[in-house]
Amino acid sequence: MTAPAPPGAARTRPKARRQGWAGPLMALPAVAGLALFVALPFAMAIGLSLFNVRLDSFRPPDFFALEQYRRILVSPDFSGDFYRALGNNVLFAAVIVPVQTAAALALALLLNRPLRGMPVFRTFFFMPVVFPMALIATVWRLILDPGPDGMLNSVLGLATFGLFSPQDWLGDAATAMPSIMLLSLWQGVGFQMVILLAGLQGIPRQLYEAAEVDGAGRWQRFRAVTLPGLRNTLVFVALVTMILSFRLFDQVYILTRGGPDGATSTVMYLAVTTAFAESNVSRAAAMTVVLFVVVLGLTLLQRRLVTQEREIS
Amino acid sequence: MIVRSKRTETRGALRAVAALAAPVLVLAGCGAGGGQADPGDGDGTITIWAHQGQDREVAALQDAVDAFGDANPDIAVELTLIPEADYTTTVTTASPDELPDVLEFDGPTMASLVYNGKLSPIDDFVSEQTRSNATDSILAQGTLDGSLYGLGMFDSGLGVYGNAALLDEAGISFPEGMEDAWTAQEFTDALADLAAKDDDGRVLDVKQNYGFGSGSEWTTYAFSPVVWSAGGALIDGDSADGALNTPGTVEALSLVQEWAGYTDANTDDSAFVSGDVALSLVGHWEYPNYSEALGEDLVVLPLPDFGHGVKTGQGSWAWGVAGTSDNGSAAGAFIDFLMADDQVAAMTAANGAPPGTKSAIETSDLYGPGGDLSLFADQLAATCGAGPVTADCVAVPRPVTAGYPVITRQFADAFAAIWEGGDVAEALDGAVTAIDTDFADNDSFTIS
Repeated sequence: MTAPAPPGAARTRPKARRQGWAGPLMALPAVAGLALFVALPFAMAIGLSLFNVRLDSFRPPDFFALEQYRRILVSPDFSGDFYRALGNNVLFAAVIVPVQTAAALALALLLNRPLRGMPVFRTFFFMPVVFPMALIATVWRLILDPGPDGMLNSVLGLATFGLFSPQDWLGDAATAMPSIMLLSLWQGVGFQMVILLAGLQGIPRQLYEAAEVDGAGRWQRFRAVTLPGLRNTLVFVALVTMILSFRLFDQVYILTRGGPDGATSTVMYLAVTTAFAESNVSRAAAMTVVLFVVVLGLTLLQRRLVTQEREIS
Repeated sequence: MIVRSKRTETRGALRAVAALAAPVLVLAGCGAGGGQADPGDGDGTITIWAHQGQDREVAALQDAVDAFGDANPDIAVELTLIPEADYTTTVTTASPDELPDVLEFDGPTMASLVYNGKLSPIDDFVSEQTRSNATDSILAQGTLDGSLYGLGMFDSGLGVYGNAALLDEAGISFPEGMEDAWTAQEFTDALADLAAKDDDGRVLDVKQNYGFGSGSEWTTYAFSPVVWSAGGALIDGDSADGALNTPGTVEALSLVQEWAGYTDANTDDSAFVSGDVALSLVGHWEYPNYSEALGEDLVVLPLPDFGHGVKTGQGSWAWGVAGTSDNGSAAGAFIDFLMADDQVAAMTAANGAPPGTKSAIETSDLYGPGGDLSLFADQLAATCGAGPVTADCVAVPRPVTAGYPVITRQFADAFAAIWEGGDVAEALDGAVTAIDTDFADNDSFTIS
């Protein structure tokens, strides 16, 4: 809008004005929805975080200014839990984003072949996405059962001819987070796979044929045709996975309740339990505001890195 | 009726904010604490909210409502059942005006409801006969600042169930009753002896499958007796400092930490009934399953003594009158009816809980003298009530304060950290800081 007018701009101006009028009008429903369900609640969360508001309490809300932020960010008594949770979120995202994207790409390549019965395989890999996380977490609780009869333990026991000693997967700080990651990957990978499949099918066949004519091998075709063709899809998938991974909650709530000793606690988990188990709505609101700022920052950073890459290429 | 001051207006605006930001949050109503129902003329219609528990409980309640209608043609009764999982949230988020005349509530939520003007004292509405027949532990649970707010048809209690065959096999002698209860060290030694004879060394079940950690009421209910029995407390007045983190409590919970190594995770809830473990720390409600599975081998033992006497939890669902009811007399008549022997006997036959009245306990096969679960009745008869927790009293009600949500969450968190091997003193100090900060933020939840 503020770009300098190109030569002869005066003549095109009425047209531009007409476009400017139609655009906002069409965007209105979406903007209104965003304002009502995203911007407004967020503004209210900021408001709540500045007062001492209790769930189910008759106390008039006291103005607390930035006290809740001070507590979760710098106070030695409360900030430990919050940073632990945020650190777990970052760790989860740092592992899940590359691993899940790579796994989804591998699956998409595997299932992008014109073979009989392929829709059946695609359906199987996509199925966990359709199940509610609560159901999946309950099933995985049986898989990860610490006893020798737990499915994972007994499978590993059989595979190693009894050499493997049963692990308390969710009760051990070293394996609790990896277990959560594994189940999340298993559940979520189908979603990314479907998007990447669509992306793969959007790559023109002629490019592959041309590459083959040029004598490119399988790996070279993947590097020179598939990856560049999937670039935007991959960027989208990585971004969505990162945002989703900061929302990690259901698995943790059902399987570990943040334990053992905070090893799987996440910011969402901490915020929800603070609001609804401890009735402390304001501190929970402050946590969500900080989480929003962190995710926004990471998203901007990621976009920036990707844009730079695009300029280079 | 309510004069809107400037203060209430800002409060209203903030409530609106809260309600919109989190749809579950509906902070409504005005006035601070202590509702008072209008007696009304004792007839007309009363509305009732109850939790929808097991089918047999619901049937018993429905029968009671019908029988009350037949006996009192002047009073019409409208019963609304709300699913158990949503019940407390529904009552918590309803404004006082939306509440029915009679409502059921879970014991530890009472103080919070009173604080928010949602319950009225019922001293004037229920008969003297009903009050004097209620057990001491039921009265203790329902009393706040000298007024009675609720009466429960049944109570609850904790014990250690033992598999006598497995205990005998390991050569372990077990107590006969509360008098010769295991000390905490004897109990821990028994675990070690049992583990030596067991394949996987996991010989104890503490119902970890109910969930351990944040917001798990089971954790607080099951293990706060350890704190009381060690001479500590969850809270003393308006501070947990010097109550929850005493050296005695730290020592007791350090011993409990050792139990974790002997505990079966019990993921499929069959550890005790399948004979995998010899001991199970749980409430009265497992008796039907356990006695069916073990028969004569089932023994019911008290919790171990950590130095200041055996302690156990207490408290369950109770009936009260809403602070906004204008039909208190009729509501009181309904509660009188529920607390009569027939109804209490029918309800406790349906759910197996310890009866909430003295006369019903005496005639109960299970809880009466010589019954299989008379230990639970004896424990509840020796309630500590609202008074100080002494070495002689046994059943301890959970803290009656509107700050209970933060107490239970912090205790459960600290306990989970300890159970997983964390530093005991550090975990308790963290909980103390969080609880005390919350009480300070809210003027100790005093009703002005």
